[in-house]
Amino acid sequence: MAAARLCRCRCRALLSRPAGAVRARRGLAAGPEMHFGFQTVTEEERREKIYQVFENVAKKYDVMNDSMTLGIHRVWKDILVHKMNPCPGTLLLDVAGGTGDIAFRFINYVRSVRQRQLQRKLKHHQNLSWQQIFESYQKDEFNSLGDSQVVVCDINREMLKVGKQKAEHLGYSEGLSWVLGNAEELPFDDDKFDVYTIAFGIRNVTRIDLALQEAYRVLKPGGRFLCLEFSHVSNPLLSRLYDLYSFQVIPVLGEVIAGDWRSYQYLVESIRQFPPQEELKAMIEDAGFFKVDYENLNFGIVAIHSGFKL
Amino acid sequence: MWCLSGLFGSRVGPAWYPLLRVVSKGSQHYPPVRALQASAVLGRASNEHKEPLASPSQQHFDSPPAGHQPEQKPQGLHHSYTGQGGQQSEDYESEEQLQHRILTAALEFVPEHGWTAEAIAEGAKTLGLSVAAAGMFHSDGSELILHFVSECNSKLSELLQKEQKLVQLGEAEKKPIDEFLRDAVEARLRMLIPYIEKWPQALSILLLPRNIPSSLNLLTSMIDDIWHYAGDQSTDFSWYTRRAVLTGIYNTTELVMMQDSSPGFEDTWRFLENRVADAMAMSSTASQVQSTGEAVVQGLMGAAVTIKNLAGLNQRR
Repeated sequence: MAAARLCRCRCRALLSRPAGAVRARRGLAAGPEMHFGFQTVTEEERREKIYQVFENVAKKYDVMNDSMTLGIHRVWKDILVHKMNPCPGTLLLDVAGGTGDIAFRFINYVRSVRQRQLQRKLKHHQNLSWQQIFESYQKDEFNSLGDSQVVVCDINREMLKVGKQKAEHLGYSEGLSWVLGNAEELPFDDDKFDVYTIAFGIRNVTRIDLALQEAYRVLKPGGRFLCLEFSHVSNPLLSRLYDLYSFQVIPVLGEVIAGDWRSYQYLVESIRQFPPQEELKAMIEDAGFFKVDYENLNFGIVAIHSGFKL
Repeated sequence: MWCLSGLFGSRVGPAWYPLLRVVSKGSQHYPPVRALQASAVLGRASNEHKEPLASPSQQHFDSPPAGHQPEQKPQGLHHSYTGQGGQQSEDYESEEQLQHRILTAALEFVPEHGWTAEAIAEGAKTLGLSVAAAGMFHSDGSELILHFVSECNSKLSELLQKEQKLVQLGEAEKKPIDEFLRDAVEARLRMLIPYIEKWPQALSILLLPRNIPSSLNLLTSMIDDIWHYAGDQSTDFSWYTRRAVLTGIYNTTELVMMQDSSPGFEDTWRFLENRVADAMAMSSTASQVQSTGEAVVQGLMGAAVTIKNLAGLNQRR
């Protein structure tokens, strides 16, 4: 039932990357060997390397996202939050949500839903006296977020720092919490959260099955698991164009904009190593989620997986 | 079923339809939400077998969440990966039952929130689930409305069945057709009264192209039900005309009810009475028209013969 992906890959020097990805053979390897991009490393090494990757890219993370995906990542994240359709009072845990993109979108969404709710309430309450209206303000019945909260959890201190700065800059103050934590071992109690999201983060988790089990643990019954991640493109023509773009353009952009070729090489390779949609769906079902489903965005470049703890 | 036979327009429809009804009667109480899933076939087949197993799994959902999750694992509700036939259908059955319960619980929040995902979220909260469980359903509340309509149809079915039993036992008199139809439609429409304010919203959602197959299905099966209990055993074209007429009566009365502000909806019931009377009169009018037609034709023939005689073309000496 455990779906830890152990695979033997051909070692490749990072700098000499020919066009066209080679699918790694899947099979059992002796010892805790894991993949880091197209390299083979141990689990510990992988965690270290990934930590360093994100430490390096943290400051330029958002800029790189925009330039790599030509801004489409914003649409993907918007679609994720729309799919979540949160109502006020929802408690969200955003794992690997370092720079806070999903958290901010969640807050905006909940705020607008709350506005509409309050407008409807006020229409019914139009015959209240001034005194009663003032008292209801005191009771804080009309708070703008309706008790929704989002906890942003990330393993990387740098990413969290960037996220906090962004929040200050954009003016998000209430309903946000920043926690340092590992997705494989969350520092939260059981049955706490309504929704668990992980956007473009699960690829970097070393033991995906553990992360899924943790997600199952911290969710309330009825809670929802949402995962936004790069996935496999089945259309052959598009797949070739995508490969071309990924391996030729993105590392170059990484060097020019962020001054870091290797991190973006890792990024692109890790996308190829990640399990395809159906396999991830099976892994999520194994962790105990029901009604697991996925939605392909952009023909499979990105997929949103959803599951419920029932 | 009704629609398909209407498409072919043959005598096949009415003849085998009563047989189909007997078979599907057993599954009429389940919500059409399952019909929208691919698992419906699996689910319906296994449902009739797995009923006794339903209660223990249901209890697990009722029990308080903290600390009970690990106990659920050995129940076999997971491992949909491994168990193909039996276990997988058991999963679907408990998921659907849970969805059914959430939707039922959500109905009490409809007058306040409307037919929306918010009402479903509140319903889920009362069951002890997180509000995110509303994400299982579509965000416009279609499943909630379809669930409600199907529940109303089942209640109507039960009501008509009870009445039929009373008549069979001799404790009540058999009603004349127009009174029967009137009472059945009135009983069905009265079920809408608690939700009457938000019902126009529901009607508009039911008319979305995505929902039309299911809502049409529910409507036609309800009309068919009413005629079945009214004792209709026709096997000719009147099977179709009767259902079309009653569908028209039902829909128009429903629309009248939407904007009726009279006490106790008396205007609506009077409208209903008039329409049913019209329908009854229509059938006698039809035969009248026919005989009138024949009479007119004969008169014309006679006139033609007279003219021929006058013109001297009918020379029979």
